Amino acid sequence: MFDISEETINESELRKNTRDPACGGFVCFEGWVRDHNQGKDVQKLAYEAYPKLAIKEGNRIIAEAMEKFTINKAICTHRVGMLEIGDMAVWVGVSAAHRDAAFQACRYILDEVKSRVPIWKNETWTDGESGWVEQE
Amino acid sequence: MKNITILFFGKLKETWKTSELKQTTQAHTIEELYVELLKLCDEEPHKASIKVAINDEFVAWDSAISDHDTIAFLPPASGG
Repeated sequence: MFDISEETINESELRKNTRDPACGGFVCFEGWVRDHNQGKDVQKLAYEAYPKLAIKEGNRIIAEAMEKFTINKAICTHRVGMLEIGDMAVWVGVSAAHRDAAFQACRYILDEVKSRVPIWKNETWTDGESGWVEQE
Repeated sequence: MKNITILFFGKLKETWKTSELKQTTQAHTIEELYVELLKLCDEEPHKASIKVAINDEFVAWDSAISDHDTIAFLPPASGG
């Protein structure tokens, strides 16, 4: 399941929802707001989404991961709104019977979400300026 | 003539200086609508990087526009 959240991501709740008695492994990725990007010192950032399309596309990515890899559960939540340095921007969790599939699916979901889900990052730098971040 | 709603996201909000427009158009496709919209902005955006959507689904640039559609112009995603 893919979701976007205006509130702080509750990773313990998401982790609990990823648990499955048939699974021997769980892989998780947390993306945090860092204090620098593309040579600039970042003070804070805002994520904007096109919510309806973001949720549809995110859930398509989760469905693709379920199809491609032998995994049992996959969850991804992306924050929107204003975030400070160190705040969690994205959480991906995958549970599977075996670790290889869980690692691969987690990576797949994160990479696809970053490139396909309509979410945009606007950084405010320490010099007071701000701007939309281009895809790297 | 069709009455449509146009949504701009990310840096395209700055290009068109708005996030939403209510527009009456003769355009048959998104491609034609885009040409109309270029008259409203000072600087032409990098079209090849823009994705388009109708009523909350990604579509192709040559997709037909219907009355009351919501058309969205989306710059490259930068989440994560």
